[in-house]
Amino acid sequence: MVDIISESIGKDNRKIILVSLENLIPFMKEMRSKGFDHLSLVTAVDRKDSIDVVYHLHSMERNEYVVVKVNTKNSVVPSVTGIWPSANWDEREQYDLVGVKFDGHPNLKRLFLPESWVGHPLRKDYDLSKVQYINMDEDGEDYVTFDAGDGW
Amino acid sequence: MSILQWIYGVLSFLGHDIGYALAYIIESIILVIFVSVMLIFMIYLFRKYMARVQQRIGPNRVGKFGSLQLIADALKLMGKEIIFPKERDDLPYKVAPFIVFFGLVLAFAFLPYGNLSIFGNLTVTYSDVSIIFIFAILAIMPIGEVLAGIGSHNKYALMGALRTVAKDVSFEVPMMLSVLAIVVMASARTPTSLSLESVVTTEILPYGILEPIGLLVFFIAMVARASYSPFDMGESDSELVSGYSTEYTGMRFALFYIGLFGTIFLGSLLIALLYIGGFNGPFSSQVGFIWLIVKGLILVLISFTIWLSMPRIRIDRLVNTGWKYLLPISFINLVLAGVLTLGLGW
Amino acid sequence: MSDPWIELNIGPQHPSMHGVLRLKAKLDGEIIKELEPVIGYLHRNAEKLCEMGYYCDNLVYFDRMDYVGAMNMEVGYLEAAEKILGVPPPDRAKWIRVIIAELSRIAAHLVWAGAYGLDLGMLTPFFYCFAEREKILTIFTEACGSRQETNYMSIGGVYQDFNDKIIEEIKDFLATFPKKLEEIYNLYVKNDVFLSRTKGIGVLSKEVAISYGVTGPMLRASGVEYDVRKAEPYLFYDKVNFEIPISHKGDNLARFLVRFEEMRQSLKIIKQGLEKLPEGPYFNPKAKKSMMIRMRGEGEYYARTESSKGEFGVYIVADGGVKPYRVRVRSPTFKNLSILPVLSKDVMLADMIAISGSIDLVFGEIDR
Repeated sequence: MVDIISESIGKDNRKIILVSLENLIPFMKEMRSKGFDHLSLVTAVDRKDSIDVVYHLHSMERNEYVVVKVNTKNSVVPSVTGIWPSANWDEREQYDLVGVKFDGHPNLKRLFLPESWVGHPLRKDYDLSKVQYINMDEDGEDYVTFDAGDGW
Repeated sequence: MSILQWIYGVLSFLGHDIGYALAYIIESIILVIFVSVMLIFMIYLFRKYMARVQQRIGPNRVGKFGSLQLIADALKLMGKEIIFPKERDDLPYKVAPFIVFFGLVLAFAFLPYGNLSIFGNLTVTYSDVSIIFIFAILAIMPIGEVLAGIGSHNKYALMGALRTVAKDVSFEVPMMLSVLAIVVMASARTPTSLSLESVVTTEILPYGILEPIGLLVFFIAMVARASYSPFDMGESDSELVSGYSTEYTGMRFALFYIGLFGTIFLGSLLIALLYIGGFNGPFSSQVGFIWLIVKGLILVLISFTIWLSMPRIRIDRLVNTGWKYLLPISFINLVLAGVLTLGLGW
Repeated sequence: MSDPWIELNIGPQHPSMHGVLRLKAKLDGEIIKELEPVIGYLHRNAEKLCEMGYYCDNLVYFDRMDYVGAMNMEVGYLEAAEKILGVPPPDRAKWIRVIIAELSRIAAHLVWAGAYGLDLGMLTPFFYCFAEREKILTIFTEACGSRQETNYMSIGGVYQDFNDKIIEEIKDFLATFPKKLEEIYNLYVKNDVFLSRTKGIGVLSKEVAISYGVTGPMLRASGVEYDVRKAEPYLFYDKVNFEIPISHKGDNLARFLVRFEEMRQSLKIIKQGLEKLPEGPYFNPKAKKSMMIRMRGEGEYYARTESSKGEFGVYIVADGGVKPYRVRVRSPTFKNLSILPVLSKDVMLADMIAISGSIDLVFGEIDR
């Protein structure tokens, strides 16, 4: 039994379990062995001074939903891709949009935005006034410029 | 009295040599016009028929019942900017559509068309080996498609060309074998059994009744040759974008498109001639040509129905069909034809 | 020394990519050795846009997610937003939502069925499907004035009540559609070539499907009886009688059959919904127009609903303001697409197209 920090019931009547960063992987492994075979959603919420990463776990057999939360100050969280393959794209998306680095992810690249995009749009301090232009280089890979180039 | 003689009769004041030469040229022009008009009509027919099948109305804006739609389309295609891919293989890329189109028109010159009232026999060119000639021309057309695929410098086009080759190689042999069976049977009655005209004129029963297997094999092979669903391997439009014609625009693309319909029409006429009596029918000495066209168009409509109702078969299954099923069947058919000819003396 | 395989870039503009999917494929002849989907060409960051709009504004972004079955998206968002704001819709509005959502599900499945035919090179059924879909869109037009991005529902109810004409039109549709559905069904399953392209192709096992987060018809075709409408009933799905179609084959054909059976079940739900549709208000007075932008929400809520593609989840984190603090969308197709590289390993190019078609991709939802 891995230690948890706190346990509460959310507005949607789902159990919310807060775990510490170092206990995340053992706790998740335990949950997996308890039958939570479906990782429904990975969400990163920017809390300005820290980032919450929220995992919605679901057990197909028991039809049970559990929310696991972890809080990180330096926006690094261990990856759970090894436990649920479905976390792969979810974590890439959250890395892309919120800027959480998932430690141990096999292929941590941006998913939606081009690799050279500056900033993470879902951060609260993201500068929306700055326009970034996406261009394509000779090899068909996208890159970003801040002034409108030829293609625009 | 053939149409050539008829034209020569008009031009006889020019003397024998020049008269015949001019008559040949005029006859060729008539042929090209006939083929073009038939193809335009066929494309119109296809679009209307497809619309009916798909619960639509089809072209109905340009001209009465949309009859001028095709001309509008042709004008549009001619006016389009022609875009050449940068790294193309220039000569093959530019020549390929013309190989397809002119190979097709050439094949029409060797078909026997039968009689039509005062014009007499409409056949353009007589040849004792017209069957060999027609199928030789049919084998040229895929070369155009392959050249287009290779010359475009495009991976989709290349894969389309590879699929075309695989498809054509696997259906060529069964097709030729089933034609050979007809030649075998015709040889009992005519010394020039490689001439399509004498094969058709000397038949007692349509060969489709004597050789239903051959008809089936030949029909499937012609579907594959014309390259429409379920055997539209060259285009494969949902997988390979547009196959070998991916990089073509404007009139060159139109030539491929016409080539597709032309092959359907040619194939239908060939099936009509070889298997269901061609221009034979009541009053064939007067309206044989009409019989041929009517039979051809019925087969064209059958082809369209197949086209519109079938998904594309996978390439490996297609090749398997050709080699594992059609080839043995066509061999059996050939043996049966031999037995019928030699053993029973039909 | 590089590997001897052909690199083929499929998409983002490609006739069978259902939008803007780009696949980097490595081919050995016709056989796919490696496949890497590249997405993001339709990315609008709806989640950020939602943070910037009032609760009532954000519905329009959800319409534009699954644009072929927009009503289900609206249901998903409102399930979460109404709980956060504490303005439950009245009963009549809930029943209207059930009916409209099921119509939308049928419309979405019809698009899929038509487009799947096109993927396999079958032209004709597409038009049959769209002719039927058109009737549903006419009903939507009658209900709210627009066809695709309807924006019909709103917080606390629906934008407009059902009038007699709509109910008449829905009844007409219920009377004519089953026969047409069978006709479309027969166009496919009575075709041997179609069966040869789908039977035993792209087999997805139960365990792999669950571990990759696959939901919806794809998961049910792999033999898992999981449907949010039954597992965690929202609206009035616990008061209607319907079955979850499942298949144990897990191949393309199974997914096809499951979707068609789902359309038949949806018809059953609509029929019951029309019978049970109560009289009464269609709008919660607490959410009247002048109040719309003043509504404040607290707490966090994760609502999951069953869209036509699978489990559609909306996770809203509120901080007491008039705008949501964070909105997170679990789009089913996003998860379903992540299975494509697994399924299309060592299959032929043509089969890969058939498999990607059977996933039912809608890019508004994947890229958000």
